[in-house]
Amino acid sequence: MPTLWPLLALRLRRDRVQVPVWLLSLGAITLLAGIAVPASFGTLVERESLVQIAVGTPAILMLRGEPRGPDTDALLFFSLFANLATAVAFMNTFLAVRHSRAEEEAGRSELIGATVASRMVPLLATMLFGALASLAAGAAVALALVAAGLDLDGALVTGAALAGTGVVFLGVGVVAAQLMRTSRGANGLAAAVVGLAYVLRAVGDAGGTPAADGLSLTSAWPSWLSPIGWGQHTRAFTENNLAPLLLAVAFAGLLVAVAVLLQSRRDTGSSVFAERSGRPAAGPLLRGSLGLAWRLQRPAILGWAITGLLFGLLAGSLGETVADLMEGNPVFQNVLVGLAGGRGAVIDLYTAALFSLVGVIAAAAAIQSMLRARQEEAAGVAEAMLSTSLGRIRWLFDYLFVGLAGIVLVVAAAVLGAAAGLISSENAADRIASVLAAGAAQLPAALLLLAVAAVLVALVPRLSVGLSWGLLLAAVVVGQFGDLLDLPQWLRDLSPFSHTPAVAAAEVDWSGAWWMPALAVLLTAVAAVGIRRRDLAL
Amino acid sequence: MSPVVQTRDLTKRFGRVQALAGLDLSVAEGEVHGFVGPNGAGKSTTIRILLGLMRAGGGSASVLGGDPWADASALHRRIAYVPGDVSLWPNLSGGEAIDLLARLRGARTTDPAYQARRRQLLERFQLDPTRKGRTYSTGNRQKVALVAALAVPADLLILDEPTSGLDPLMDAVFRAEIVGAAADGATVLLSSHILSEVERLCDRVSIIRSGRIIETGTLAELRHLTRTEVAFAGAGLTDAELAGLAARLPGVRDLTVGDDRVSFTVDAATLPGILPVLADLKVQALTVAPPTLESLFLRHYGGPSAAPSGPEEAGADPAGAHSPQHRHRR
Repeated sequence: MPTLWPLLALRLRRDRVQVPVWLLSLGAITLLAGIAVPASFGTLVERESLVQIAVGTPAILMLRGEPRGPDTDALLFFSLFANLATAVAFMNTFLAVRHSRAEEEAGRSELIGATVASRMVPLLATMLFGALASLAAGAAVALALVAAGLDLDGALVTGAALAGTGVVFLGVGVVAAQLMRTSRGANGLAAAVVGLAYVLRAVGDAGGTPAADGLSLTSAWPSWLSPIGWGQHTRAFTENNLAPLLLAVAFAGLLVAVAVLLQSRRDTGSSVFAERSGRPAAGPLLRGSLGLAWRLQRPAILGWAITGLLFGLLAGSLGETVADLMEGNPVFQNVLVGLAGGRGAVIDLYTAALFSLVGVIAAAAAIQSMLRARQEEAAGVAEAMLSTSLGRIRWLFDYLFVGLAGIVLVVAAAVLGAAAGLISSENAADRIASVLAAGAAQLPAALLLLAVAAVLVALVPRLSVGLSWGLLLAAVVVGQFGDLLDLPQWLRDLSPFSHTPAVAAAEVDWSGAWWMPALAVLLTAVAAVGIRRRDLAL
Repeated sequence: MSPVVQTRDLTKRFGRVQALAGLDLSVAEGEVHGFVGPNGAGKSTTIRILLGLMRAGGGSASVLGGDPWADASALHRRIAYVPGDVSLWPNLSGGEAIDLLARLRGARTTDPAYQARRRQLLERFQLDPTRKGRTYSTGNRQKVALVAALAVPADLLILDEPTSGLDPLMDAVFRAEIVGAAADGATVLLSSHILSEVERLCDRVSIIRSGRIIETGTLAELRHLTRTEVAFAGAGLTDAELAGLAARLPGVRDLTVGDDRVSFTVDAATLPGILPVLADLKVQALTVAPPTLESLFLRHYGGPSAAPSGPEEAGADPAGAHSPQHRHRR
């Protein structure tokens, strides 16, 4: 296949910035954590108490993984792996779709398909590229772990586990690209599979069986249904067992075979799930640019809202379980008694902690809606819209309004889900009131991030998509993982999520609820001025 | 000599839409073959099947003696393709895209012959290869695809409306290049809406309608199927002479007496018979035009009545043959 190399080179050239940024970020986060964990938890006693808390707290287990003892390296693997694997999974599904379905959608695959490369070689080149990117991600993380002074064997196993998980999601991406007609649809389907894998792993870890000493956990069966769980089961540094990766390799092989089979049989541009035909005339909602923005983002916002609902339901229904667990544990019994409000306060604390992630989901929904304006501009359709009587500011604000609606809907759905989960608790009204407050507390940070995205679209359109998502990611890492990474306080203060009022805490700092929306309004005004002054960037 | 492209009873269905309904297309070696038809008639679907980008639903297709679906890679070594709607990689320059496509067709981009040819084409098409894909206009994207297709010699050139975005100057460059490629022995399948271009370039033409080839042949052969247009100035003629025209001109159709022109159509075979009548009337500014591809095309798509500005009567109705229409006669 003499055409494989030029097509691989094409992929490397096109992603010359994107993939290295992913790899560097993965390595940097690992290195930071690898330095921070021994620094913050230097003594065995500190680490033991940390692991005991983790083993006893399903919420921590869900967001981290499967604790395997109090050693520094095991602690690091426990707290990092699931999240690194999720990042690699997204890197690969985006990569797979970008180089297969997106190319078909743009019509470029026709240009390539008419050459000697024909139909199959581009797909093979995409899979080879993804496999190389997975290996590079594993190598970057392994290198970072070794650089942080950790054991080489464990570092290599961690890298292999990441690469194995990555290859599975590469397969998910290429199959999704075969199934769906648009790259947007394929990315959505692949992201849903990543989410499912994360949740299965989370449920498996939260429902795991603790060891007698309370220092390690064996995750429950749902974890074995998740490719992220397979990587985690290598138990790097403690057991260094590569056998679970055979599952990953076999499953990836199956997915690749399915993709190759579909690719060899279908027409270029067609998909397994065909596109339905549309309505013959515009409906009453499609009245102007606001109707258009809503119409374009409706499926995505619906998806985010369903995620919020499920997350709320989980938070609400697990609160009782956590309280039960803590009451059954003599160590926590004292903590529980010491807390004002007792059992109810524990549930409130727990749901409020989980709701910080609802804020992230809401911000993501809002940013995506705002960036749709930029995508419309880049695709050239905004040109057609703005050559009508529609004004620039109105056009930009319509996407902002849809983002606002996204925030409200996601938070409302999460509150609804949590309320449904808590309905059978004692003093349910108090619990639901607390959840309502926890939900409302998420609004300011999401609003601020939405306004930041609006300013970026207005001032630096070409960079806005990458910058907005990058800022969200940075805000999440700094705000939610700042303690784990032992980041300085001033850096953590840069994340809007650090200023989200902690409603269940003893003394609530509400200042963020005022200055963040105020800053958002100010930034919106800047965006309005900026969008009037710049050229359309096509 | 077997045809370079041969399809028999080719069918293709997309859901409820029958895109191709038994298409028989034959392109002989060394010819420039025009492939004309309205939007949605099945031109691009046919081309995609010939390139193995889509699989035929039924019937058979052969390209350069091979099966376009099964032997796609091997055949593409000898085929150059320009899609109708060219999309380029946003962060790759036009020059990079040209070299990439050339490599994918098996060319060595370090080959001096390739480089000379590439330079020549860039110059002729006045294309700046350093600009990024996202900054090209439609016409310039089309030029990138054309340069990529022409830079590596091919046995078969498949061009899907390749000039829709080109200006007249570039159009002339394109025609010269196609003539040159044909002179070098390449076979060309040219799908186009620009009928004057097809008329100037093509040896043979196939007209497609609703997924079927309804007419195929050289332009001269096709002209026999339709009628010659005759027109002259009506100024020197009396009203009585004008009124009597229909009776004096047997076999004439579409007789229209306009403001200052009289026009009608006539079979090529009857034309010599009516010339003495016109001479007797001493008509001035006489034009006798052989049928254009456009008139052929319109005839096949419902006749002149399909054209918004044409006269009402289609040539197909014999009863209307002798009923001249008087329009705005002053």
